[in-house]
Amino acid sequence: MKQELVKLIDLSRCTACRGCQVACKQWNELPGSKTYNFGSYQNPPDLQWNTWTLIRFQEHEGRGGTLKWLFRKDGCMHCTDAGCIKVCPTEALYHTEFGSVSLHVDKCIGCKECIAACPFGVPKYDETANKIYKCDLCYTRLKGNQPPACVLSCPTGTLQIGAKDAMLKKADQRVKELGGDASVYGDKFVDGTHVIYVLTEKAEVYDNLPEDPKIPLSITLWKDVLKPAGLLAAGGVVAGAFLHYITKGPKTPDEEATSEGGNEI
Amino acid sequence: MKKGMIKATGPMERVVHWCVALSCLLLCITGMGMMYHSLNFIGTLVGGMGNLKLVHNFGGIFFAVSLVCTILMWWKEAGVFSFPEDAEWIKAAGGYLWHVDKVPEVGKYNPGQKMFFLAVALFGAGMVVSGFIMWFPLGFAVKLVRLMYVLHALGFVVIFAFFFVHLYLVTIGAPGSAPAMFTGWVSRAWVKKQHPKWLKEMEKDGTLVVYGDEKSSCKRC
Repeated sequence: MKQELVKLIDLSRCTACRGCQVACKQWNELPGSKTYNFGSYQNPPDLQWNTWTLIRFQEHEGRGGTLKWLFRKDGCMHCTDAGCIKVCPTEALYHTEFGSVSLHVDKCIGCKECIAACPFGVPKYDETANKIYKCDLCYTRLKGNQPPACVLSCPTGTLQIGAKDAMLKKADQRVKELGGDASVYGDKFVDGTHVIYVLTEKAEVYDNLPEDPKIPLSITLWKDVLKPAGLLAAGGVVAGAFLHYITKGPKTPDEEATSEGGNEI
Repeated sequence: MKKGMIKATGPMERVVHWCVALSCLLLCITGMGMMYHSLNFIGTLVGGMGNLKLVHNFGGIFFAVSLVCTILMWWKEAGVFSFPEDAEWIKAAGGYLWHVDKVPEVGKYNPGQKMFFLAVALFGAGMVVSGFIMWFPLGFAVKLVRLMYVLHALGFVVIFAFFFVHLYLVTIGAPGSAPAMFTGWVSRAWVKKQHPKWLKEMEKDGTLVVYGDEKSSCKRC
């Protein structure tokens, strides 16, 4: 691994300008989609195959009835123990040298297994291309020592990228400064994500943000237990059959019956 | 064909058997090509992993139809256990595993074959249902889709293991069995050894068809 990078999202600094959302579309050449007003500045309503990052707008009633407007930049968390990579049958999804999760688009067969495996609901399916798409943390830019487009565009310092340790330290420091319900989100599950939040509220307050994300048990059962069991069971049967043949022997028709029935075995 | 051979299966039985067998095998191979990364080369044979998935999906439809025919055709004979003789056979493991002085006589299908049939019918149906949902996962609740992945993998474990038991028994494990699914004719000695009660039943009912036997010269075969 070249250097594990972490993108830090300090939500206490976010003004919801959505510069990152536009920069992402521009750099990745993602077309816009026609949407409708559903009573929120949030647009589009959810991540899409062509919207890899999105500012979520949320009205939250805090303690004492004070109204707070929460902004959260949603997108791929770039897990270390990534469910999408675990299930991908063609190895289209993979870890880069930066620890981020990238996609070989040409290898994707549109099976959609990653959609069910992701605890954050990130991969989205494009019917026209029969592919899934998601944020790749601007892999080509990272390789060129450039920050991801969203980080570059951020005018408030909400988004930063750097070495994992340095970013975690920064996040801890910021949480201490903020006090209250502020917390670091991302370092304690799925073996650590490569996108870390500084949340100003408790994690459970935020829409669409799982409190304790992990690869679903069913996915683990499928890929870590049943997948090897398939080969082990078949191998056991083959070995057992061979043992049976050389110890107990085959069940052959009785000799004396052969003359009568024309049996030649 | 030798005189004295006994008719064990009709042409429809053999056609249905090979439809379900070959489609099942095709699905095992193409499915494994997607399940195990080291077997991704199987995709190359059909022009890529995308095509492999197509072969698997549409092969699944052929399997589903064959499976329905299989169940309709054999349910009465192989899907129902008859007590107490089947229980005794299971207790003795059919004389296959350890020494048994007297193996309980079995009819057309022994309980082992019935279990294989039921496993294929039950898990096969599970594979069809879970496979369909896996084909169109966005149309279903994600929790259901996740369960279907587990069911599909479990079905593979059971069916793939049973396949090798079946393969062993019809080749070197119980010699003389295979012709029943190729020509349809088996030797009298084989029937006497494997399905003595069935032989007696057929003799009693007059349904026994013996090759070269004028009395029973068969118009249907």
